[in-house]
Amino acid sequence: MEVVKLEQVSKTFGTVKAVNGLSLTVRQGEIFGFLGTNGAGKTTTIKMLLGFFRPDSGRVSVFGQSPGDPAARRAIGFMPETAYYYPYLNVRELLAFYGGLCGMAKADIRRRSGELVARVGLEEAGGRLLRHYSKGMLQRAGIAQALLHDPDLLILDEPLTGLDPLARIQFRDLILDLRRQGKTIFFSSHDLSESELICDRVAILKQGSLVWCGAVGEVAGDGQQNLERIFLKMLGDAPARATAGVPEGEDRP
Amino acid sequence: MSPRVCQIKALARLSVLELYRRKDLIVVFVLCAVILLPLMVFTPFGVSGASRYVNEMALLLVWLFSLVIGLGVSARLFPPEFESRTIYPMLSKPVARGTILVGKYAGALAASVSALAVFYVAYGLLAGVRQGVWFPAVLVQAFVLHIGFLAVVTALGLLGSLVLTPSANLTMMGLTVTGMLFFGQRLPALAAAQAWPGRTVLTLLHWFGPHVEFFDLRQRVVHEWPSIGWEVCLAVLVYAAGYAAVCLMLAAFAFRNKRF
Repeated sequence: MEVVKLEQVSKTFGTVKAVNGLSLTVRQGEIFGFLGTNGAGKTTTIKMLLGFFRPDSGRVSVFGQSPGDPAARRAIGFMPETAYYYPYLNVRELLAFYGGLCGMAKADIRRRSGELVARVGLEEAGGRLLRHYSKGMLQRAGIAQALLHDPDLLILDEPLTGLDPLARIQFRDLILDLRRQGKTIFFSSHDLSESELICDRVAILKQGSLVWCGAVGEVAGDGQQNLERIFLKMLGDAPARATAGVPEGEDRP
Repeated sequence: MSPRVCQIKALARLSVLELYRRKDLIVVFVLCAVILLPLMVFTPFGVSGASRYVNEMALLLVWLFSLVIGLGVSARLFPPEFESRTIYPMLSKPVARGTILVGKYAGALAASVSALAVFYVAYGLLAGVRQGVWFPAVLVQAFVLHIGFLAVVTALGLLGSLVLTPSANLTMMGLTVTGMLFFGQRLPALAAAQAWPGRTVLTLLHWFGPHVEFFDLRQRVVHEWPSIGWEVCLAVLVYAAGYAAVCLMLAAFAFRNKRF
């Protein structure tokens, strides 16, 4: 089943073509990595997936519906890149607020908040106001709010920003666990090694256009063809070296 | 409870919690107490008739503080959401933008009215102690109409919060509301005395500006005049609801076309 479908989607801001004729599909139960350099159009695409604005041309559908319809967003959980959540709330109040926005019953909110606060490792800091949280702790709170209403599709924009190594491992376990539950995860990242570890498929975006899309399993495990090399080749930074079979690691800083 | 009511309640609760936890309100309450208490307890120069002037000053302060709270809360409804990017998770939830606007508005109004109620109760108690008349009908009407005033002010503040920075919003709306409060009734006469384009500007302001002077019963309260008819109160509240609705519709238009 196609959870996300983009057909020839374009979006222009003034003279800047942020997304240019992008077509891709994300299937149910897969972890889909959305890669690209800064300004490649990843966040613009995500915003169209969430219905924040409409594309100039083309069609965006999530579970077969337009994401502009609030009912379609019932099945979507979203975590923005870096959000400084309400500093005068604690994490449980934050989740109660988002639960209210999702129309959840009080008892469900309480139960899910308890589970998620423990799951993201914020149990001890649960009573503290968010203004006292570090960036990584705010990211954890962001993951919790995205998962609160048990969505079938999770859209994560640079979820690893600010996470320490331990939190990254916990995050990876969480994502893999969600896939086992049949959830679909769409996440944008700069972190190629992390993407290679957890993604089933990845798409690489360059200046708003899709330059590569494929299964990670096809490229990983081969020293000549890892995700980093494909990424560099597709972005045109090191095409000659990548195709000439430079041993892995030599062109890394 | 329907999901939409649940959503509006969650949004409104957020605004009220912010007002009380940011401690701005405590400053206003302390200022109010510091100014109101001495004004209401002491008789200036030992002249008993001076109590009316004291009451007038106290009510003027209540009006100014309520304006500061109403505009202060509503002007901050959206800019922090944009700056801290919390608007994204909010919009990603299954909630319509119209519901977000109504919820935010309800929260700002509830927060402002709760503060106003404290001011009026304090005023009513102090005036009762001095004059022996406890919460006369005209004071109740003044409170009810003051809620109408806040309904208009918070709607204006919310509209401004979508298109202006908080400081620009506070300045523009503050000047507009204060100007209308003191000169609203005299606008037609002022316009007639002006040449073009001043006449056109004042005429437009007369027709489209918020006539907040309709909500002002201070003179009646101070001079202990009889209360007005409740049907008049209702008509003024209908005006407030209509004006607030127009502001909310304009805000909905601005919110829909807002680029995030």
